[in-house]
Amino acid sequence: MSSPTRFKKTSLIALAIAIVLIIVGIVVNLLPIPDDSMWRVLFGVSTLNFTLRATVPLALGAMAGILCERTGIINIGIEGMMLAGAYAGFVAKVATNSWPLMPSLLFGVAAALLAGAAMGYIHALFSIKFKMDQIISGTFLILLAGGLTAYLFNPDMVAEGKFSPIAIPFLSKIPVIGDIFFNNPPITYTALILVAILHVALFHTKWGLRSRAAGEHPRAADTVGINVNFYRYMNTTLGGMVAGLAGGFLVLEAVGQFQEGMTAGRGFISLAAMIFGNWMPFGALGAATLFGYTQGVQNALLLAGVVNIPRHFISMLPYLVTIIAVAGFVGRVRPPAAEGKVYETEGSSE
Amino acid sequence: MRKSTLFILLALLLVSVVALSACGGKATPTQAPAEEKPAAEATQAPAVEATEAPAMEKKEFKVGLVTDVGRINDRSFNQSAWEGVKMAADKLGLTENDIKYIETKDAKDYADNINQFVENGYNVIISVGFALGDATHQAATENPDIMFIGVDQFQADPLPNYAGLIFPEDKAGYLAGVLAASLDKTGTIAAVLGTDLVPPVVAFKEGYEAGAKATKPDIKLISTYHPGELSQAFVDPEWGAATAKQAMDQGADVVFGAGGMTGNGALQEVAAAAEAGKEVYCIGVDTDQWETLPAAHPCLVSSAMKLITPGVAELITKAAAGDFPGGNYVGDVGLAPFHDFEDKVPQDVKDLLAKTKEGLLDGSIDTGYHPGG
Repeated sequence: MSSPTRFKKTSLIALAIAIVLIIVGIVVNLLPIPDDSMWRVLFGVSTLNFTLRATVPLALGAMAGILCERTGIINIGIEGMMLAGAYAGFVAKVATNSWPLMPSLLFGVAAALLAGAAMGYIHALFSIKFKMDQIISGTFLILLAGGLTAYLFNPDMVAEGKFSPIAIPFLSKIPVIGDIFFNNPPITYTALILVAILHVALFHTKWGLRSRAAGEHPRAADTVGINVNFYRYMNTTLGGMVAGLAGGFLVLEAVGQFQEGMTAGRGFISLAAMIFGNWMPFGALGAATLFGYTQGVQNALLLAGVVNIPRHFISMLPYLVTIIAVAGFVGRVRPPAAEGKVYETEGSSE
Repeated sequence: MRKSTLFILLALLLVSVVALSACGGKATPTQAPAEEKPAAEATQAPAVEATEAPAMEKKEFKVGLVTDVGRINDRSFNQSAWEGVKMAADKLGLTENDIKYIETKDAKDYADNINQFVENGYNVIISVGFALGDATHQAATENPDIMFIGVDQFQADPLPNYAGLIFPEDKAGYLAGVLAASLDKTGTIAAVLGTDLVPPVVAFKEGYEAGAKATKPDIKLISTYHPGELSQAFVDPEWGAATAKQAMDQGADVVFGAGGMTGNGALQEVAAAAEAGKEVYCIGVDTDQWETLPAAHPCLVSSAMKLITPGVAELITKAAAGDFPGGNYVGDVGLAPFHDFEDKVPQDVKDLLAKTKEGLLDGSIDTGYHPGG
């Protein structure tokens, strides 16, 4: 925690992106600008809706990463945890197709959380108990989830129904903002609230302080009586749950069906969002929004057909932004100091 | 600290490459060993029944199918082709032991899988999908006495023992476009597509747009290809769904989903909107998706079909009869039945579709799609 102000600055840059988007979006959509103008394409409600939808799994994935890495456990296995959550949610939904829709979907969410938690616990077990290299353990999770779900998945299974949008009274009537933020399915709301909760929890509670201490200076934490590895176990498992929820989002809210490898690299992008956001919840949300927005714009440009440049250049957009973001900002971010290091109490190590 | 960040990023990159290639792999560990059996049978057969010539010939006729990456029950290409094999087997009186399939796990195994059938003395080998074209051509050149059928494989230089079963997708797309424009009320229709790296998808799109424009000249068409590479373009249902939502937000009320799982994602998203009371329709692709994608029932008016099953069955029957047509063999296309939407499609639209199909077949209607020419 050498320079807390710097910490905030990078996080603010990412957050500013999200706020600018919202403000320009409101202005553009309220002014009488013709439908086919570039502004409408870039900041139309449909583009911003897409942005939020693409952002949710990335933000959840980034929150999962923050939870683990703040306590010092590198988690590159988010992709695998997501996929496991997606598959478990799908199987639970299919098994309870005969139930009323809501309980069946909630059961699916519970299964997704549980599967994610299990993956998180495995990661913690490997990294802490067996002192395995955490990158390898994460890789293992990705391969495990990819292989296992592809092997178990039966295309004849059909999930019936998915979460539909819930309009929040009054708020959903606000022009533009209401359309974008207050008329969404439940997991989207959960994800946004979770970001705020995690921020408060990390920086304003005892739990948060201890978790961060375990990731920054475990020896010091241990000296004052914090059980470092307990916090690492707990947060990695919690992180797995959040990643599982991201998988649940894909299956139970976005698509309504499972597909082999359906996370399609979202776990990796959320890691980039976490780094870009400097391991801060709101920073990561801003970064995820930026990545989501580039996808939305890319689609809007293609759908509108207003551009004369080859579509391959438009397709590069998200990657270009990612490269610029990571190359331009990653030099200034700072991971938790003890990240990736096995912690052993003095007695046991020597 | 910087070093560790860099390390994480590098590791990330590496892992994503490994994981994505692993995802493409789709493990199907049980299939390969099953292929060992026919080898033994094939070598024994001639020795046992040397006297009964006609019966032996019948037993000798073996048909093998190599899938594209994916399962045999993929509810799409692989399954349709395999059903064609089974249909032909019924007709020719072949037993279950005479027809076999190999599920391809990875694109690099195409040639090996085809060779398994070659080595085991199969008479007809079917390879399913555009991507297997090179491997099949190679095998057909090396084995002139084995007949090869390639689904979706255009033949630039025809071989007498290699038939490419191709489809005029632009015509199926044209019919879908006519239907979409007829059902449309908002003046905007959309298409969510796989990738333009695969020619049949481009043909579907061009045909769809031509058909829609011919029906309603001032219609607004919004369509987009998946921006990713070939390995992702057909297996990203969430992109398809989100894009369909974006198109509907922009006023589209008919969405054509053409692109494997990606397209299916689009169809399901439209179905969800239809269930919520919006008047939107969707059109599926390749097979009658009413049968293969029940989740799309609320919006699925029809599908732009490639009749793979009868095409494959016909080619196998011809091969058995000894008049195998080498080169390109054009299969049939058409619209799937309307199922629950039978009453919602007005009679004059049905008449228009019938007339359009006639015109497409006799050449009086041109889809305007002429690749390379």
